[in-house]
Amino acid sequence: MKKIMVFTVVVALLIPALSFARKAKYEVVEVNNGGGIQGTVKTSLKVKDPVVPINIQPKEDPKETEIERKTCGKTQQAGIYIVSPSNEVKNVLVIVEGVKKGKAAPKTDLTINNNKCRFEPLVSISYVKSNYIVKNSDPLFHNTSLGVLLKDKRRAVYNLALPYQNQEIKKRNRVAGLIDLKCDAHSWMRAYVYSSRHPYVTITDANGNYELKDLLPGKYTVRFWHEGFQEETKEVEVKAGKVSKLDVSFSKTRKPDFLGRL
Amino acid sequence: MEQFSFLQKIFRLSLFCFLLVFMTLIPALQGVNKAYGDDEDIDEDRVIELGKKVYETRCMICHGSKGDGKGFAGITRRVEKNGRVLKNYARDFTMGVFRFRTTPNGCLPDDEDLMKIISNGVSRSFMPPHKDILSLEEKKSVIEYIKTFSERWEEEDPCDVIEVKKPDWVGSSLSVKKGERVYKEMKCWECHGEEGKGDGPKSDKIKDDWGKPILPFNFVTGELKRGSSAENIYITFTTGLDGTGMPSYEDSLNEEDRWHLVSYTLKLMGKLKSLH
Ligand code: HEC
Ligand code: HEC
Repeated sequence: MKKIMVFTVVVALLIPALSFARKAKYEVVEVNNGGGIQGTVKTSLKVKDPVVPINIQPKEDPKETEIERKTCGKTQQAGIYIVSPSNEVKNVLVIVEGVKKGKAAPKTDLTINNNKCRFEPLVSISYVKSNYIVKNSDPLFHNTSLGVLLKDKRRAVYNLALPYQNQEIKKRNRVAGLIDLKCDAHSWMRAYVYSSRHPYVTITDANGNYELKDLLPGKYTVRFWHEGFQEETKEVEVKAGKVSKLDVSFSKTRKPDFLGRL
Repeated sequence: MEQFSFLQKIFRLSLFCFLLVFMTLIPALQGVNKAYGDDEDIDEDRVIELGKKVYETRCMICHGSKGDGKGFAGITRRVEKNGRVLKNYARDFTMGVFRFRTTPNGCLPDDEDLMKIISNGVSRSFMPPHKDILSLEEKKSVIEYIKTFSERWEEEDPCDVIEVKKPDWVGSSLSVKKGERVYKEMKCWECHGEEGKGDGPKSDKIKDDWGKPILPFNFVTGELKRGSSAENIYITFTTGLDGTGMPSYEDSLNEEDRWHLVSYTLKLMGKLKSLH
C-alpha cells in the first residue's frame, strides 16, 4: 500500500511538471566569456527584383482617389532581392533557435511606419515585453495587421486601424515568433518582424554580413530566413572567447505570399 | 498566482490519483464511488468526455472531427440582395482565433463570449443556435472540449473583458449626425461603403487569415453575425474581428465618438426605431 501511495504521489507531481516544461521559457544569466557567430549570406542564383503594379480603386470623392494615387504611386520596386554585385544578400533574418539561456533581451521598442503605402522597415526585430509603435505617415487609411507564422498558418496577433495621418499606436509585444505584417486596405503592403525572447537574432547588411555576440558556449541551430528564398538551417558550435564562422548560400527561390494577394 | 494554481493542480491530481487507486482496491465501497461521481470539479476528464460527445453529435458536421472547420457540411453560400455572394466557412478551432469577443484585439475570448455564440448561433452564417438544444452543463463541456484543439489556450493568459455602458442619448438625431462624420473620418466606408452596403473601394481585395476572400458587413441587411444590438456594434469595432481584416479602433476613437458611430450605423441598419 505504501509503495502505491508513493507511486501515486510521484505521478501526481510529474504530470504538472511535464506540462510546465512545454512552455518554452528563457532564462536570463550573465554571460562573461561567451562566444560569437559571424558570417555572410550569399546566393548562387541570378535573381531579379520585380516591380509591383499598384491599383487604387476609385472612391466616391475623386479628390480622395487622387490623394491615394499620389501617395502610393503607380508602381513600387518590390525590394525583395537586394543583392550586392558579389551576390551578397541583404535583409536575411539570422535567428539562433531554441536558446534556453543567455543575456537579457534589449528593451527597445520597434517603430513600424506606414509611409508612402509601404511598411518601414521591411525586416526588423522586436522583443517580447517591449512595445510595437505603429505609425501612419500617410494622409489616408491604413490598417496594420500582425500575424504570427506557424507551420502552415498565420495567426492574428493585432489588427489596428490607422485612419488618419500622424497617428501613433503603442501595443505590447506579447507573442514570440516570425510575425507577418499586412494592410487589408493595400494588398501589396508587407513586412516581417522577428519577435524574440532572447537577443540572439540579427539581420544581414548590404554586404550580406551578420554578427551575433555573447552566446554561452555550446551547440546551436541557426535559421536563415528571407522572404524570397527557401530558408536554411545550420548547426554551429560556439566556444568561449572565440568567434565561429558560419556562411550560407541560398540556392532556391520562393514566391513571397504578398505577390499572390495582388 | 501561478504558484497557487500549481499547488492546486498537484493537490487535485494527487487527490484524483489517490481516489483512483482507492476505488480499484475497494470497489465494494459504493459510497466513495458516488461522492466521486458527484464532484464535477475533481473530474476534468469527465467534462472533456461529455464535451466530446456533444461536439460529435452537434458541431462536428460543420467544424470537422479535427476541429479544423472542414466538416461534412462544407462551405455554405448566401446570396445577398445586391448580388454579392457571402461564403461561410465553419471556424477552424486549431488556429485558436475567435471573432466575437468582448476581450481586446488579439486576445482569446472569455467563456461567456463562447457561451453566447454557442447559445445564439451566428446569423447569416448558418451556425444554428443551441440555446434550447443543449443544457448548461453540455454547453460548458463543449467549450472546454473545443479548447483542446489549440495549444493557444495553454500558452496565453486571459485578457480582461471590455466594459460596455450605453449612454441614453444613443440613437438621438444629433448623435446620428455626429456619427455620420465619425463614419467618414474613421474610413469605415473604405471597406463598408459610403451607404454601408459592404461595397467600399477596398472591399474586393480583403482576405481572411486562412487566405479566403471575405466581404465587409453590409449594414443594410440589418443583421450582425454576433447579434444586432447597439452594444454588439460598439464591441465589434472596438475589439476588431480577429482573423478577418476588420481592424480594432480601440486606440483611434474616444468613448463618446464610438457611441455616435453606433447611432449612425443603427440608422444604416434601419434599427433606430427598435432602440426606443
Ligand atoms: C451548420 C454548421 C455549424 C454547426 C452545426 C455549428 N457551427 Fe459553429 N460555426 C459555423 C460557422 C459557419 C461559423 C463561422 C461564422 C462566421 O464567423 O462567419 C461558426 C463559428 C463558431 C465559433 C466561433 C465564434 C467566434 O467568435 O469566432 C464557435 C465558438 C462555434 N462555431 C462553436 C460551435 C459549437 C460548440 C457547435 C456545436 C454545439 C457549433 N459551433 C455548431 C457553423 C456551424
Ligand atoms: C479594412 C476593412 C475594414 C474597415 C476599415 C472596417 N471594417 Fe468592419 N468589417 C470588415 C470585414 C471584412 C468584416 C466582416 C467580418 C465577418 O464577416 O466576419 C467587417 C464586419 C463589421 C461588422 C459586422 C460584425 C458582425 O457581427 O457581423 C461591423 C458592425 C463593422 N464591421 C463595423 C465597422 C465600423 C463601424 C468601421 C469603422 C469604424 C469598420 N467596420 C471598418 C472590414 C472592415
